[in-house]
Amino acid sequence: MYGALDVSTSGMVAQRTRMATIAANIANSRTLLNSAGEYEPYRRRVAHFAPGDPSAGTKGGRRMGVHVREIEAVEDALRRRFDPSNPYADERGYVMVPDINTTTEQINAMQASRAYEANVVAAETSKTMMAQALRLLA
Amino acid sequence: MFLNQLSTAGAKPALAAMFRFAGARQQSLAHNIANFDTPNFRPADADPRRFQAQLGEALDRRRARTGGAHGSLGIRASREVRQLASGDLEITPRTATGNVLFHDRNNRDLERMMQDMVENASMYRMVSDLMRRRSGQLGAAIGERVA
Repeated sequence: MYGALDVSTSGMVAQRTRMATIAANIANSRTLLNSAGEYEPYRRRVAHFAPGDPSAGTKGGRRMGVHVREIEAVEDALRRRFDPSNPYADERGYVMVPDINTTTEQINAMQASRAYEANVVAAETSKTMMAQALRLLA
Repeated sequence: MFLNQLSTAGAKPALAAMFRFAGARQQSLAHNIANFDTPNFRPADADPRRFQAQLGEALDRRRARTGGAHGSLGIRASREVRQLASGDLEITPRTATGNVLFHDRNNRDLERMMQDMVENASMYRMVSDLMRRRSGQLGAAIGERVA
């Protein structure tokens, strides 16, 4: 039964990580510079999930559950925008900017939020079942 | 000997087996929900009806063996459920529970998953209430109290 809680927790952790990735995408949808102040437009990040949770405390938890296998920075997620006044524009007046569609990101955020809720419900159910089992002792 | 008979009398072993099955199945249902949007993941579940049929067969065998409703249950292994020496049940979910295949090659069906989980939790609760009631009856009998 404790394994079931581990599994749901891994789902919540994965969805929270995905939500953080989406939030970073939206926050950086117009970011042109990297943290060192150099011209390097932000590339959209995508969280990839895989079954199993290597960080779980129980054997069942490691075999089951879900984890974030990789956060990929999508290489071609840039588009050209005509902006001759931009200091980073090329000789033809184009500047490369992040190709982030905030509507798509918001839909992904909704999906992550619903999936998180589903895991919370599963954890609540496991908790109630554990309480039922403990009542047998009382 | 007498105490051993008390713990394996009547429906108690069947209740205990169902209790263990529902507990173990909860883990596989939580696993399906956790992988709700994992690409290529195909949810699988252990079929409770098939397990109940296994349990029914074990009860029939016990009746034929002991001539009465007492004695431990020997649940024969199936492709999904296997009884360990400790009495615990090892579940290997194989029953496909999917929907149509989505673009990420995951055939999730969240509504069905949640329904299965609610049904499993209800079963767990019913079994635990029955077990508690039986323990209460036993306590009343030992204490020579009228329930």
